[in-house]
Amino acid sequence: MKRLFLFVLVALALVPAARASEQHPSLAELEGEVMCPVCETTLDQSSSPAAQQIKRVIANRIAAGDTKTEIKDRLVAEYGDAILAAPPREGFGLVAWWLPVVGILIAAVVVGIGARRWARAREPAPVGPPLDPALERRLDDELRRFEG
Amino acid sequence: MTRPARLAAQGLAVALVVGLLALLVWRVANDNSKGVAQALKDGEHPTAPEFHLPRLDGRGRIDLASLRGRKAIVLDFWASWCVPCIHESKRLEAARKEYGDRVAFIGVDTKDFSSDARQWQKKHGITYPSVHDGSGSVLTKWGGLPIPRIFFVARSGKVVGELIVEEDLPRYLRQIAAS
Repeated sequence: MKRLFLFVLVALALVPAARASEQHPSLAELEGEVMCPVCETTLDQSSSPAAQQIKRVIANRIAAGDTKTEIKDRLVAEYGDAILAAPPREGFGLVAWWLPVVGILIAAVVVGIGARRWARAREPAPVGPPLDPALERRLDDELRRFEG
Repeated sequence: MTRPARLAAQGLAVALVVGLLALLVWRVANDNSKGVAQALKDGEHPTAPEFHLPRLDGRGRIDLASLRGRKAIVLDFWASWCVPCIHESKRLEAARKEYGDRVAFIGVDTKDFSSDARQWQKKHGITYPSVHDGSGSVLTKWGGLPIPRIFFVARSGKVVGELIVEEDLPRYLRQIAAS
């Protein structure tokens, strides 16, 4: 419970930062989220003329007060979805976001079932029915005599 | 897991693998992604891949297929960030004065900002119409980067050649103008 409370507290603390990033994005963060259309890397890893052009446009839009979404929408309108480093969180793009989660869940179930079976296989074989008390006593006597 | 359930799960897994394999085979067999440039290198003369893209000047769209049988075409793939494109586009602009009545000169501004592209055309005095292929999907069908890439299409719609050396321009222009 304490952990959950802490998690919620941290998540709430991050909300203003996320909102600030959306309202006033920096060139550096957008350079990491936008692809260079001719070099297949993000803008921050490219100094090609095409990348320089997009960096200049982004800087101009930031100076003009555009939000991160507005800037990205403008880029998508010019270059298509492939200009974004991450797929959009809507339509077919959702598949890319959810597929890893589904994969991890399926893998967890498979591992869980496998582990359970393995643990069962290692359990000791069931012991047979208890010995007759008279027979057990006789066996103990014999053993004592043998050792003595 | 009961035996019928296990058999069903195994059958499903096998069907899934076979299905994916069939999809792969189909994809390889129907792979048309060679691109016009590669087809030309292989000695083929493919039909020009169609496109229907918006004009940079905002005056509607250009449908390449609509020109088939009517006019030969010079297709110029360019972008405002491409420095060598300036020289080639200016050569095409000059050639247009001689061949413009028989050959349609069309630019394809690719992977570019349309506003920058319009400024670039104005700055370098390029007057032949261009379409905007921001995603580069049309360029990919013709062979992809690097640009500039200039193709010559006969009136029939068949691609005659690509400009590789300077002398190709007058040679191919004469050929397609007579087609």
